[in-house]
Amino acid sequence: MTTETKSAIRRVSPVCFAAAPGESEDRDGWQVVTRYENEGEEGPWLVDLSHRPRWDVQDGHVDALRPGGVSVPQEAGQCRLQDGLLINRMNRTQAAVWHLAGATDGMPAEAAYTDVGEATLMLALFGPQTLRICEKLSALDLAGLQRRPPFLVQGPLAHVPCQIVVAQRNSGDFGGGILWTCSRGYGRSMVHAVLDAGREFGLRPAGEQRFTDWLPSLSSD
Amino acid sequence: MNRLRALPTFRIDPARRVAFRYRNRSLHGVAGDTVATALYANGVRIFGRSLKYHRPRGLYSLDGECSNTCMQVDGIPNVRTENTPLREGMQIKEQNVVGSAAFDLMAFMDKLDRLMPAGFYYRSLHKPARLWPVAMRQVRRAAGLGKISPDFRYGGRCDEVYLNAEVCVVGGGAAGMSAALSAAESGLRVILLEARPWLGGCFDYRPGPSQDGEPLYRRSRELLRSVSEHPGIRVFTHSPVVGHYTDNLVTAFQTGEPGDAFDYRYIEIRSRTVVVATGCIERPLLFEHNERPGVMQVGCAQRLARTYGLLPGERAVFSVGHDLGLEAAVDLSDLGLEIACVADLRQDGHDEHLVTQLAERGIEVLRGWVAARAHGARAVRAVTLATLDGTVQKRLDCDLLAASAGLTPVVGPLTLAGAQMDYDAHTGAFLPSELPPGLFTAGRLLGLHDAESIETSGRLAGLQAAAHCGAVDAAAVVELQAQAAALPGPQRGSKLVTAPVKGRKSFVCFDEDTTVKNVRQSIARGFDIPELIKRFSSAGTGPGQGGIPGHNLPLLTAHLQGKPPSSFVSTTIRAPLVPVPVAAYAGSRHDMCKRTPVHDSQKAAGGVFRRMGVWRRARYFSDDFSCREEVRNVRENVGLLDASTLGKFRLHGPDALKALQRIYIGDMSKMTAGKIKYAAMCNDDGCVIDDGVVVKRGENDYYFTTSTARAGATIEWFRYHTRYDGWEFHLVNLTDAFGVINLAGPNARKVLEKVADADVSNEAFPFAAYREFTAGGGAIAVRAMRLGFVGELSFELHVPSSLMQALWGLLEEAGKPFGIRNFGVEAQNVLRMEKGHIILGQESEQRTNLLDLGLGFLWARDKGECKTVGEAALRHAENDPGRLKLVGIRMQDPQRAPKDGALIVDRRIRGYVCTARHSFTLEQAVGLALVEEPLAGIGTRLDIYEDECRGELLKAEVVAVPFYDPDGKRMRM
Repeated sequence: MTTETKSAIRRVSPVCFAAAPGESEDRDGWQVVTRYENEGEEGPWLVDLSHRPRWDVQDGHVDALRPGGVSVPQEAGQCRLQDGLLINRMNRTQAAVWHLAGATDGMPAEAAYTDVGEATLMLALFGPQTLRICEKLSALDLAGLQRRPPFLVQGPLAHVPCQIVVAQRNSGDFGGGILWTCSRGYGRSMVHAVLDAGREFGLRPAGEQRFTDWLPSLSSD
Repeated sequence: MNRLRALPTFRIDPARRVAFRYRNRSLHGVAGDTVATALYANGVRIFGRSLKYHRPRGLYSLDGECSNTCMQVDGIPNVRTENTPLREGMQIKEQNVVGSAAFDLMAFMDKLDRLMPAGFYYRSLHKPARLWPVAMRQVRRAAGLGKISPDFRYGGRCDEVYLNAEVCVVGGGAAGMSAALSAAESGLRVILLEARPWLGGCFDYRPGPSQDGEPLYRRSRELLRSVSEHPGIRVFTHSPVVGHYTDNLVTAFQTGEPGDAFDYRYIEIRSRTVVVATGCIERPLLFEHNERPGVMQVGCAQRLARTYGLLPGERAVFSVGHDLGLEAAVDLSDLGLEIACVADLRQDGHDEHLVTQLAERGIEVLRGWVAARAHGARAVRAVTLATLDGTVQKRLDCDLLAASAGLTPVVGPLTLAGAQMDYDAHTGAFLPSELPPGLFTAGRLLGLHDAESIETSGRLAGLQAAAHCGAVDAAAVVELQAQAAALPGPQRGSKLVTAPVKGRKSFVCFDEDTTVKNVRQSIARGFDIPELIKRFSSAGTGPGQGGIPGHNLPLLTAHLQGKPPSSFVSTTIRAPLVPVPVAAYAGSRHDMCKRTPVHDSQKAAGGVFRRMGVWRRARYFSDDFSCREEVRNVRENVGLLDASTLGKFRLHGPDALKALQRIYIGDMSKMTAGKIKYAAMCNDDGCVIDDGVVVKRGENDYYFTTSTARAGATIEWFRYHTRYDGWEFHLVNLTDAFGVINLAGPNARKVLEKVADADVSNEAFPFAAYREFTAGGGAIAVRAMRLGFVGELSFELHVPSSLMQALWGLLEEAGKPFGIRNFGVEAQNVLRMEKGHIILGQESEQRTNLLDLGLGFLWARDKGECKTVGEAALRHAENDPGRLKLVGIRMQDPQRAPKDGALIVDRRIRGYVCTARHSFTLEQAVGLALVEEPLAGIGTRLDIYEDECRGELLKAEVVAVPFYDPDGKRMRM
């Protein structure tokens, strides 16, 4: 095999939107759409983040680990967002690390880490009426008054087991934002279900830039 | 029919006409009409015919409490037209008629009621036995409601929504709205459900005075404004509650308005508390011909006028048992209805102010009188009134009889939630005596009539719910309780059960044509409690969900047996509380399935997909479902199979090996780097539940595969069987992380050589070896296994999913000179069957253990103290002679393979065929079967029974497996 072959090889996202890309860039084999035509300015938006690195961390002493220099939250369901790195505590021994900002120095060599970027898809849904869209997809209480974003909920979205992080919640307009991962194979079904649920609220696919612009507005715990 | 002049209570817009078709006529209603009110406005009085006797039926409740007004709307039968909003262009048809609703040729059935006593079809038409199928067909043809075309396709939009709240209020009347406001003021999330298309309940249309002297309808609108403006309250109108389950799970379904994104929406609510403020319906008065068109509930008559602008008749008689009846008579008189008389079955306890108002209008009030009989063949023409003992009677001409025996609390949501219901002697109703935690009640449901009492009870219930959630102080509840206690309490209810008549045509259940006489017949047959009567007479089993007979049946049961009503309870109420279109349950139609990373390219290559578990997989690649060419190409050349659905896992941690030893039946400690180990898992019964391969990638670091079906359960399986050990190991599900390509066939190596950046020769990469290398010039990391599931030289290539399409493309390109082509799951099935390799679930079922399948060689008996799952059972099973054994079979007719699952028989069933196909490789029909051990010997002849074989058994013989390449040379080439 030649070098040309290598450079011609492209990664394929599990998520595909029926929308015309406006701008895109080649990044580590991924063709990342940074802006779609007709994204709209009001939202809500659905953004494919499947190309962002994600790690699974499992260890009997997971509390002692500091992925990317960030400490792991103490309680299951808690999240920590710092410098674009989101760490979700899943249970006693396990946490998920999502590189929302994209940058990573590579996965630590410890056995506790597994690269699961290929195992799942990652989507972000944010903007006005986001939680109303979620109500059409899941019985999970993502708008519960008891918890302050960001927090992790593990359960079904569109009947598919997911890790869902409620990243932002606005009072009044049911707006806010969620990020979630689920098995990669569900990509097409998931997007179809979410866009269908969001149609009445004007949900549209958006490029990565829309997410990048939104990310700084998220606060940590 | 002319509408009344605009009233402040209107829910219609008379200026906006809505066209529809009925009996090939173009008619018009107005915006806000239901189908039923639009028909009524156009002079339709008979909407359909009854189930059994084909009696004419008309408007009765306006809330769809019975099947009287069920019609076919836009091709959908049994639509409750009283609840269905009129839409432009609707096509309305009568149902259950021969001819028309007005002139039904089946109307003679009404004369045959003596031939059809209660439970007649249980007692007659069975002897001789051959009579029953004939009779059943005739009974079914004569009875029944609407019919749906087999070709009908529902074209509407259905949706679903899952809500969470601290307080869910069921019922949007004054009490419900007050409860919602009270709870929301404490900062809680409140959901308010209302069955009608607007809030207001019984305040919505009544001009009577509220506590501050304002008309009730105006007070209702004030509450509505407050509710609408409160950000903490979400209102769902036209959303009747369907079910109420443990832990306050409430389900409802909503009918969409024009402009909504749905026609029907299923609503599921998880709420910490529920306030039930569902109010009351009217208890039907039992008298002769009490369902004749022109007989309707008092509220129905008043709402027709007040809400829809339709005077329900020209001359009316009222026969009532509560002050609401008197109030309605006053109101309708003021709106222009001539009222001949008001018969009130109560001797005393009237609201004298209302009696005075009636007297001022010249309307006679007869105390202690009741309607005894409605006259008129197809509609009411007159009514006979009688004293309660029947000794004095008088007949009055009228075209409307507003009749109601009393009020029935709507307690369905309470009983579904497990509330204890008991007869309350004061109200004469079955009321909750004990409520589950987090459930509260309010309003007319409790027997309250006074407007201020109703609102206060709502506020109290809302506050109690808030206190239950910890949002308000208990002292606030106590204070409001004291206020409520000072207000008028529940009103005394009517106790009359039936007018002084024989009851031959006094209908307890309109839906099922069940009369008082039928109930008496049931009791005479020994069915003497409501639950038994319901089943014997069918009362309460129709589309009205027991709304009409629900209260009267237990009262009548007690009355006919001379027992107190408290001796009985109502029949069991079950969900759905109201009829729900099945489409509403179906919701949005998303098939949530998984697709592999090369789904699209397989589809482009002609793949025929089938749903297999959670996946969609390419089963065939041509219209030839025997897969002859796919099989041939693998045997002679090279093929590509997408095996991405295999379960894939990483297992790591200091105790990873212990976990493997516990779960797998083999000795996993003997694994070496670079080699794969085929291994099987058993359950505690020694039955094989899964198989796959395991590789050791590092110290305490393993990678293993499972079958597609078991992937989802694998982590739980490991955890469950090690739950008491405290071992430290970790599992990562990588099923979707890696796509899997099975490159198989004698030319497989030639193809792989062109793509892989490594030596893949037989020496460097022998059979049963595991290698990691790159492909595509170093761009694609590959985990490769030399396996032979299909019996040929095969490479199983595990590749990151996002790169699988790239590698697939490279292999296709490299294989072009050899004629590489896809093969699907069915071809794989044939190939592996020829080789005698099993698929769990196909060659096994729940009882099939490791030994039955001939996989005993996988069992390591000397693993020491690790307590392998299933080992104990296997030790017992190896000495059990009565088990099924997996054998190969060859059919006598080489062209005729039996169906999978066909039975192996002699005088009894001796086994079954697991998989059988015509093998184009062998030019024989061969298969694998599980048979009793005595039949497992080579050469044993077997008879196979196939469904629809008409007694002609297929012949087969037990032969040795594998059928193909028994020495395994081709896998090792």
